[in-house]
Amino acid sequence: MDVALSKSGTYMMRVFFAVVVAFLYAPIVILLIFSFNNSQVPSFPLSGFTLHWYHQFLTNSDLRGALQTSAIVAALSSILAVALGILASIALARRTFIGKSPVTALLLSPLVIPYVVLGVSLLLLFQTLGIQRSILTVMIGHVVLSLPYTILVLLPRLQQIDVSLEEAAYDLGASRLRTFRSIVFPLILPAVVSAYLIAFTTSFDEYAVASFVVGSRITFPIYLYSALRFPNQLPQVIAVAVVVMTASLVVVVGAEIGRRIAERRLGALEL
Amino acid sequence: MPIAIVACYSFNVYSINPGPHSFTLAAWHDFLHSAQYLALFWKSVKMALTVSTIIVLLAYPLAYYIALSGTKRKYILLLLLLAPFLTSYLLRVLAWKVILGNQGVVNTFLVWTGLRSANHPISQLLYSRFAVLLVLGYVWLPFVALPIFVSLESLDRRLLEAATDLGASRWYAFRRITLPLSIPGVIAAFLFVFIPTLGEFITPSLVGGTSGYMYGNQIVDLFETGFPDWETGSVLALFLLGVVAVLTLVFARFLRAPQLKAT
Repeated sequence: MDVALSKSGTYMMRVFFAVVVAFLYAPIVILLIFSFNNSQVPSFPLSGFTLHWYHQFLTNSDLRGALQTSAIVAALSSILAVALGILASIALARRTFIGKSPVTALLLSPLVIPYVVLGVSLLLLFQTLGIQRSILTVMIGHVVLSLPYTILVLLPRLQQIDVSLEEAAYDLGASRLRTFRSIVFPLILPAVVSAYLIAFTTSFDEYAVASFVVGSRITFPIYLYSALRFPNQLPQVIAVAVVVMTASLVVVVGAEIGRRIAERRLGALEL
Repeated sequence: MPIAIVACYSFNVYSINPGPHSFTLAAWHDFLHSAQYLALFWKSVKMALTVSTIIVLLAYPLAYYIALSGTKRKYILLLLLLAPFLTSYLLRVLAWKVILGNQGVVNTFLVWTGLRSANHPISQLLYSRFAVLLVLGYVWLPFVALPIFVSLESLDRRLLEAATDLGASRWYAFRRITLPLSIPGVIAAFLFVFIPTLGEFITPSLVGGTSGYMYGNQIVDLFETGFPDWETGSVLALFLLGVVAVLTLVFARFLRAPQLKAT
């Protein structure tokens, strides 16, 4: 007898799970259907198949520019966030220092601060320091946002690694840098990759903070947000939504599978 | 060196919250005496409470099913649940806008199938509190399941077996063992939704219309409209931050353990 669920309970749960998953994916499927629909307004009945909207967004230079800006911002800010995340995680995992738990709390604090507050604070900070709002300020904002996520991914991984491996490297005369490069980094690589991807997707999708600190060169979410106010842009926005969503789903699911495989292999090595 | 960077960085994180420029309590005074802002804040609190409670209640059985039903495809099911959360937030809100509008998918579908006449669309679908509630729930549901799943996963099944052996019913074992042990995960989940929802302004402004206007929108408007009032805006933002900080501290001892495990 199963201790957690009765037979009928399991059956009911399965149905409930299926319903929720359907609820979660239905809007995405609906977007997919209407991205091919030959009509200016997304409404029933469907009026025929077209690739027009995809073509339209490919030729829309504003949209492509925004996508490009977001890609640059996301790529650079997540490199920075991961680098800082690695350094912070090493400090938290390997050293003992006074005030460790307040520092941890501070590092993770952006997780529990509403984005609108972060956005406002960053705006005020840049204003006070006299920094022009630009793509750079957006990047800084995104580093602040994604740093806690990178730490949350990297820290448990670092804590899993046996410290004696590093000590052995020091004993054999390796410098700190060398130890990090040939021992620690390869071992945390899977976590680094997933931290990078999380940071990237966070930044690529981020509207709230960006809206406060963005300059004249807008990012994709900001373009999207303003485009939503114009009904005639809706079909191509739907098309671009489908492309971006598919891409991120593929990347996320792929990364998750890759991480599991890699960690299993590393796990075998460590034994 | 890493410590120095951590220190610098945490300083940076901390110093991004400066208050109003010149020291005066006038804006605070105005804020605390304005029924408008506080009413709006209260409205947001109610909205956030409703959303969080509903989706925690929905997510709990899901997490329970994945974690404890003994299925071998645990992680596949979890990934299935989480994947939508990892796609663009804005785009998922957009999807609902398309679905709920007067000329949207639901209404035109009803008209098309003859269930409703074309002149009477269900107009409360979009631009209402209901829409904000629905979309926020949709957006956060997968994320809520995660901490609950983690706390249920670490539960020792032998406890349940022992309870059953001692003659407890499943329901009794759930109430006395599973539920108390998963409370930290539930609280973490609740906070993870409650806090962002409290300051939310994107969803309300896209699907909420005037009746969905929330505290977060007010902050944004104070900063970005034609008559910016940064001082009041800062007060509003700091007030929100204060409330969130108090909440977090109160729940910190529940939160700490599951938060680090949540990855």
